[in-house]
Amino acid sequence: MDFAVNILALGVPFSVALLIASLGEMFNQRAGVFNLGCEGIMAMGAFLGFLAPFLVGRGGPTAEIWNYAGILMAMAAGALMGIFFGLAVVTFRAPQGIAGIGLQMFGVGVAGTFFRHFVGGTQSIPGIPAMPIPLLSKIPVLGPILFSHNPLVYVAFLLPPAAWYVLFKTPWGLRVRASGANPRAADSIGVKVNLVRFQALAVGGALAGLAGAYLSLCQAKMFSDEIIAGRGFIAVALVYFGHWRPLKITGGALLFSLAQALQLAIQGRGINFPYEFAVMLPYVLVIVVLAFSRENLLLGPTALGRPFNREIRT
Amino acid sequence: MRRFLLAVAFLAVMAGVARADGVIRMAMIVESTIDDKGWCQSMHDGITAAQKELPGRIEYSYSEKMKPVDAGSAVLQYVSQGYNVIIGHGAQYKNLMLEMAEEYPDVTFVFGTSAEIGPANVFTYMPESEETGYLSGVIAGMTTKSNIVGVVGPVDGGDAARYNRGYVLGAQAVNPGVKVIVAHSGSFGDFVKAGEVAETQIKAGADVLTGSSQQALGALRAVADHRDEPIWWVGQETAQLGIPEGYKCIGASEYNYAAVIVDLVKKLDAGVKGGECIALNFANGGFNFRFNDDLKAMWEGPIEQKISETLAKFRSTPGSIDWSKVDYSKL
Repeated sequence: MDFAVNILALGVPFSVALLIASLGEMFNQRAGVFNLGCEGIMAMGAFLGFLAPFLVGRGGPTAEIWNYAGILMAMAAGALMGIFFGLAVVTFRAPQGIAGIGLQMFGVGVAGTFFRHFVGGTQSIPGIPAMPIPLLSKIPVLGPILFSHNPLVYVAFLLPPAAWYVLFKTPWGLRVRASGANPRAADSIGVKVNLVRFQALAVGGALAGLAGAYLSLCQAKMFSDEIIAGRGFIAVALVYFGHWRPLKITGGALLFSLAQALQLAIQGRGINFPYEFAVMLPYVLVIVVLAFSRENLLLGPTALGRPFNREIRT
Repeated sequence: MRRFLLAVAFLAVMAGVARADGVIRMAMIVESTIDDKGWCQSMHDGITAAQKELPGRIEYSYSEKMKPVDAGSAVLQYVSQGYNVIIGHGAQYKNLMLEMAEEYPDVTFVFGTSAEIGPANVFTYMPESEETGYLSGVIAGMTTKSNIVGVVGPVDGGDAARYNRGYVLGAQAVNPGVKVIVAHSGSFGDFVKAGEVAETQIKAGADVLTGSSQQALGALRAVADHRDEPIWWVGQETAQLGIPEGYKCIGASEYNYAAVIVDLVKKLDAGVKGGECIALNFANGGFNFRFNDDLKAMWEGPIEQKISETLAKFRSTPGSIDWSKVDYSKL
């Protein structure tokens, strides 16, 4: 029983960065743009989330405030990078895959360079501590799994229903979906497709920045050039895994992270099983689920990856 | 074509030029940074310490963040500038170093960790880190209250494999009933995953952890998050004692690469340009160990005495730990 509870209690916080980043990527893709630069935005978010409490708040009485200032900086930078990406792929209609790889390299490179300049070597920060919810955290089994985490974990799990509501119940969500599904039809009824795509990229970027800040402020409580370590790409895969739906994406992020927690526990049990396979387990799981998904569920928004030019009939 | 041939010939001539003033021009290539409080910093610190030990003998440059595929151009740059010792600090540079060694026989290439004996102009180095791991294991085995201790490894290879197995043997030697949890993050630099591994082990009851390579900092950070709980760390890098998380670190070993570099210079002076593996161990000064003075109450007495005895044994009989017999599946 303890074994299962531990895995669940670990899997929940492990999933947060992936969950937030993949929800952001979902908005991008729902609007018709896939952003492989998510990793780069997360790297910048992780750096900026770390920088404010490190430079200004460290050891001071207002350290907590600077943690949250770091989060805001990370989200703002993420939104700006999303808009910057939009300039390349929406305005100038650059190939989205190539531009995304460029953004990934740019983000990781700039974050690493700024880190060396402003911080130097590896340093840690107190970060955002866990905030167990009174009474609820004492409930057997459920308490440690759901109510004993840091504040961003709770925020992260409020995001999927919020994202669902925004996407499916608001006029803006409808415009986003229309821009990704049939931009020409959307345009014909007055939707400013490119503007909506910019907005979705800004939202997606802000969420990717937040995901990065979670890693540096809540999980590692330090920054290094390799802090994202491919999680941005996994977030992109999880959007396909979750069929562009917030609740399914949440399931995917949780499944991936629980597999991660499980493989670490398996290794620790000394089971005669090559650890390399254990490390691969979560990734293999994603591939297997994608491979066995019904083809029609993996098609995604019809105009995904296609730039919109109202002057050209496509 | 003629210009190209002239350039190649010039590079080849420059490569063979040794400084008449006895200064060794040494360049190091690392995949991380020289201040990573781990693997790369220890070699950088070793070279700068050797520079102080041998004043005026070593001229030193380094290139950071070099992936093996990019490192070739950096090596060529150094060779063309007349550097006569090139160190690729990591086993990932093995192929590059061997290829370059064949092309530039007058330049000495060095890489590690590797116990292989290379060609006549290639030195390898191998930390016998089962010794440092054993010391950490002794401390862990004598400190644990839960009788469960953990190891956060990067990958099961090189000196990390030796360190981790040494840790198992050390813990079992002083506490035969101890359970040792071994898990690998699969990466040398993923702090986040190392922290996840550490957190998993703590949830499983481990109360003394250790880890190797630069990823271990993430695990130490996870241990430090348990501020008011009796969960402790034993380090493989003494720099960990001086960081904010150091209050959890009972003691730490470190690689003293100065011993390797000084030995290397002596061999070069004697006309040996390679074909040997230089070991690091306590006997040749390749390792140091230090307790955390702020945690004296934890180690003073039996632990201190056991560590002194073990160190004395290592200094008199290096290579006494048979680390290769440890089978994780039987723990």
